[in-house]
Amino acid sequence: MQNLLDLYTKASFIRAFELHIAVAAEAGHVPGLVHLCCGAELVEVAICSALKGPKDQVTGSHRSHGLALAMGADPTAVAAEILGRKGGLSKARGGTQHLMAPQKGFLASNGIVGGQVPLAAGAALTAKMLGAGGMAVAFFGDGAANQGAVFETMNLALSLELPLLFVLENNGLGQSTSAAYASGGVDLLSRAKGFGLKAASMNGYDGKACLTVAQDITEYVRSNCSPAFIEASVPRLSGHYFGEKADYLAHHAAEDPIEDLEEIIGAEICARLKAEAETAAHDAVTNALNMGEAVAEARP
Amino acid sequence: MSEKMTIAKALNAAHHQIMNDDPRVIVMGEDIVGGAGLSGKELGGVFGVTAGLAEQFGKSRVIDTPISETAFVGMGVGAAMTGLKPIVEIMFCDFIGVCFDQILNQAAKARFLSNDTIDMPLVIRTTMGAGDGSGAMHSQSLHGLLASVPGLNVVCPSTPADAAGLLKSALMSPTPVIMLEHKGLYGAVGEVDSGLPAVPLGKGRIVREGHDITIVAVAQMMEQAEKAASLLLERGTSVELIDPRTIHPFDADLVLTSLEKTRKLLVVDEGSEFGGFADRVIAAVATGGFQYLRAAPQKLTPPHTPVPYGRQLEEVWLPNSDEIVKKIDEMMYDE
Repeated sequence: MQNLLDLYTKASFIRAFELHIAVAAEAGHVPGLVHLCCGAELVEVAICSALKGPKDQVTGSHRSHGLALAMGADPTAVAAEILGRKGGLSKARGGTQHLMAPQKGFLASNGIVGGQVPLAAGAALTAKMLGAGGMAVAFFGDGAANQGAVFETMNLALSLELPLLFVLENNGLGQSTSAAYASGGVDLLSRAKGFGLKAASMNGYDGKACLTVAQDITEYVRSNCSPAFIEASVPRLSGHYFGEKADYLAHHAAEDPIEDLEEIIGAEICARLKAEAETAAHDAVTNALNMGEAVAEARP
Repeated sequence: MSEKMTIAKALNAAHHQIMNDDPRVIVMGEDIVGGAGLSGKELGGVFGVTAGLAEQFGKSRVIDTPISETAFVGMGVGAAMTGLKPIVEIMFCDFIGVCFDQILNQAAKARFLSNDTIDMPLVIRTTMGAGDGSGAMHSQSLHGLLASVPGLNVVCPSTPADAAGLLKSALMSPTPVIMLEHKGLYGAVGEVDSGLPAVPLGKGRIVREGHDITIVAVAQMMEQAEKAASLLLERGTSVELIDPRTIHPFDADLVLTSLEKTRKLLVVDEGSEFGGFADRVIAAVATGGFQYLRAAPQKLTPPHTPVPYGRQLEEVWLPNSDEIVKKIDEMMYDE
């Protein structure tokens, strides 16, 4: 139960954080667009809970606010980076799609669909060379699942026996294109098996199952120094980017995995944990907003 | 103490020394050990640069990869970001087309995006150059293209000492370095000081002093320029010859100092005719040395076409010493 409570606490915090970022975006405080991770929290927290930076390293897609937080990056610095503030992780050089907190085990997120996956192979190679039991995880979406960089890395990880976990977060949509259309209807888990990878599916609505699968498969990767693959089903609750009209969707309603978890844990405990998460997220984003925008030095 | 050796041998010796000095250095690429999964003899790389490394340092540090440039270049980037010092070989620079995202967006940007908190001691070694009948997809000289990407340093050695010395400096640099080795120069012999001293990035070299005209020449074009300079000297024209060695950061000061004396410039480069390194040198001279110029700065590059295959076609495509002499005669006459 304690693990489930931790999962709920962290997932609620990430949700609240994203919603505060959405408010800031609406108020015009974000330089560009933000891609929020609402709906994927249970999967991301469950897997990151089985990792420990910096010996373990994670790379993620353009939708990686939650992953950076789940790995333990300072929430105020993450918010400040997204908001282009001077206290950001990279002093606003990177922004929402290029978060980096390698000392916490969040190596990098990426603006190129699938570009982060080979980088994780490098982190896995370092972990293997150091021989301290570390591993790497590459998170990517169903859109990236058809990129050559991902295919090449799946094969390379097998060829070189890298401790690398591939996590395909399948929300059924690559921007406005359905995952089924993009893959020709082929099941992506069987595709990974076709590469020869140990592969498991993860139901992103089932918190308990997420924790179990995450534990089992990370243990497999570590003890065998061998790659593996998870296909996690998640909803995309906040559009491709926040504020998108998404008329291409016939209906918007999707179940919320966090609400499903509340039914298991109980409303009373959840209400308390949620309120705490809300306060913490509010504080992080507010503190970041108060930092003031990053200022460029004069041109030489 | 110094020793005569080829560029291939100097690079091989530098690899041995670097790997011996630092256990974080790893080497990876296609067929760099060779014979992976087979029981015959090792290949040691298609140009012999990585020969003997696996035997001495083991296959965990000298890694043959599948033919997957995107995956293994990206792996090199990720490994550099997490504490290793990878030397990644791309067999021919033409293959960079396959993995350009990992170079353009990943290698070049990671340090910047970390607000310079991450060091990127990554070296990508690759080949360049026409002249051996390898055709359009194994012969390009892409140093100018690569040098135009912010975040990448690019070097093109033309001697064994520079090849070894630049490799050492490249691996000490916190920014990624792409080293282009001319295929036609691997057998070129030169003196190398013992200990293979490092050659600083961003510093060119005066190859021969002169006072009538400055030639900047890259990689194998240096051989042609030296030949031309000797012919011209017999006829009374004294050439100052500069090897930039590093393409980016470009040593403009060295060229401008020379220009102050010679007042004329010719750039000889195997790279692109349009927007290439030659244009960059001329731009530096036009903006920073206009007051020295006694004639319009000129360049000799191949025509703006892919590299042709046939012997005669390729020979005509490449600039040569006769063309350099002719060009310089014109420039001297212009005055």
